[in-house]
Amino acid sequence: MRNTLAIAWREVRTYFTSPLAYVVIGVFLLISGYIFWASLVRFSQLCLSYGNNPYYMNLLNVNDMVIRPLFGTMGIFLLLMIPAVSMRVLAEERKSGTAELLFTCPLTTAQVVLGKFLGAAFLLLAMIGGTMTFPAIILSKANPDLKPTLVGYLGILLMGLAFLGIGVLISAMTENQIVAAVGAFGAFLMFMVINWAAEAVSSVTLSGLFNKLSLGLWEKAGLGLGGPSLGDLLNQISITEHSKDFYKGVLDTRHIVYYLSVIFMSLFLTQRVIESQKWR
Amino acid sequence: MIEANGLSKVYGARAVVDGVTFSVGKGEILGFLGPNGAGKTTTMRILTGFVPPTRGTARVAGFDVLRDPIEVKRRIGYLPEHPPLYREMLVRPYLNFVATIRGVPRRDIKSRVDRAIERCGLGQVAGRLIGLLSKGYQQRVGLAQAILHEPEVLILDEPTVGLDPSQIRDIRALIKGFAGDHTVILSTHILAEVTMTCTRVLIINEGRIAAQDSLEALAARGEKTRRIALRLARPTDAVEPRLRGLPGVLAVTRDPGGDGAWLVESDGARDVREEIAALAVGQGWGLLEMRPLTLSLEEIFIRIIRGEAA
Ligand SMILES: Nc1ncnc2c1ncn2[C@@H]1O[C@H](COP(=O)(O)OP(=O)(O)OP(=O)(O)O)[C@@H](O)[C@H]1O
Ligand SMILES: [Mg+2]
Repeated sequence: MRNTLAIAWREVRTYFTSPLAYVVIGVFLLISGYIFWASLVRFSQLCLSYGNNPYYMNLLNVNDMVIRPLFGTMGIFLLLMIPAVSMRVLAEERKSGTAELLFTCPLTTAQVVLGKFLGAAFLLLAMIGGTMTFPAIILSKANPDLKPTLVGYLGILLMGLAFLGIGVLISAMTENQIVAAVGAFGAFLMFMVINWAAEAVSSVTLSGLFNKLSLGLWEKAGLGLGGPSLGDLLNQISITEHSKDFYKGVLDTRHIVYYLSVIFMSLFLTQRVIESQKWR
Repeated sequence: MIEANGLSKVYGARAVVDGVTFSVGKGEILGFLGPNGAGKTTTMRILTGFVPPTRGTARVAGFDVLRDPIEVKRRIGYLPEHPPLYREMLVRPYLNFVATIRGVPRRDIKSRVDRAIERCGLGQVAGRLIGLLSKGYQQRVGLAQAILHEPEVLILDEPTVGLDPSQIRDIRALIKGFAGDHTVILSTHILAEVTMTCTRVLIINEGRIAAQDSLEALAARGEKTRRIALRLARPTDAVEPRLRGLPGVLAVTRDPGGDGAWLVESDGARDVREEIAALAVGQGWGLLEMRPLTLSLEEIFIRIIRGEAA
């Protein structure tokens, strides 16, 4: 644990002694602040125009009109900005030769991977934490239901950590930081859009697919052709599907489990990738 | 302390290290010599557990590098070929970080780091950014990181590269001082360094051990025949046949360059200098100079690398 934290802490110091942390946090706050401001202005204009009509007034809700779009856009920005952080996590160690220090110290690969991940997670936390000032502004003037905001933040944080895990995994596979960044970006996008085809393949069941692959043996073995469809599977993998509920303020453990397993799997695979690289 | 047994490392289809077997005892300083690309760095990386061997085993302080990597790494200090430095860190925080991950107890970190800074002459730059230090100072930081936890085994890949002469002398003294209770392996291209610091030499060529010996034995290899240079004040025609007549003398040639200079080659097992001196005095040749010619380490090294029987 001490080793993991030492690596994480060193990583954090590096972020904050280089422009990286300031640029990433600054740009993130600037753009999400702008979106927040824009939707807040629109909301207050609507309130002014329809404020005396009780029917419309009931439809106007600060959580739906300001907070939820804020989380939606933050999700997109994370998609764009996390590759810039994750690309260097392991690729940089390899390039500067410091990997030779880490892997000849009495540390396990898992400790190194976890330490690097936690360091980057701290930066993510600072990015997201900075935006908490926006809801605080609303809170100082009004009294909205807080639960959607808190749940939304949990969702954003989990999504960011999942992206980071995937990014670290890709960073472990290459020494080239550009390749690591583009690869991470592609992987995130894929995770977001993979459910787009869900509708189209909703009639294909998984067991049917296995049946075809096994040349009919599946059916003969009496395993059945019903069950979940390929479309369901794609929906289950998709990050988009799992983030929606959080932004609505609905806390569902299934989604939390999903994110935690993505994080765990990517860190586990990172450890395997590093171990296997030694043998080349 | 270190035992390597049939170590091989294959990259692609090429065996970069090929069946290397050696052992180093406690307190020894072993020098790795070899031309570029011989496999020195690769061998050291295997010993430190950075790359696993394709075949063979290596043990450090009784622990196998593959089976107990953590135990091995606990006992090793390693300076890689390219010092593993975080350029954006200051020297002292960097050393603190390394001390932590090397497992130095928290309360000892400050004193160990202070000692390493002092031993490597880093006092003046302890608060500077590593990336802005000169090459030699970066090398010293690399060395400090290798010794700060007082490891039982020190593995140094070209430790004196880029250092100034006075620092080289200090670092060599440091390495020698270390060897008392510690074991050191160092690689180098500077042959004089081997003469000055090492107790034993291992010459690697194309992944194989070409020679493995103490320095004296290695020097003696060049001496299957001894060569003696003579200079006489009043040589006569009888010099050559008379010298040749001495038991053990194999060949006598007149040095074309020098006036009255001769080169005598004799059997390596036999020192004929006394007989030559007695003969020269007895004949009144006027013996001015007599000196044994030994092969320099460079010559021995090149002969061994070329595979010539020295
Ligand atoms: N990761 C790798 N993949 C492929 N080949 C490698 C790898 N590492 C080293 N080699 C090759 O192994 C050979 C031996 O390299 P090594 O670095 O051990 O030599 P060396 O004796 O340290 O040389 P030098 O004196 O130049 O430092 C070289 O030909 C090198 O190209
Ligand atoms: Mg080398």
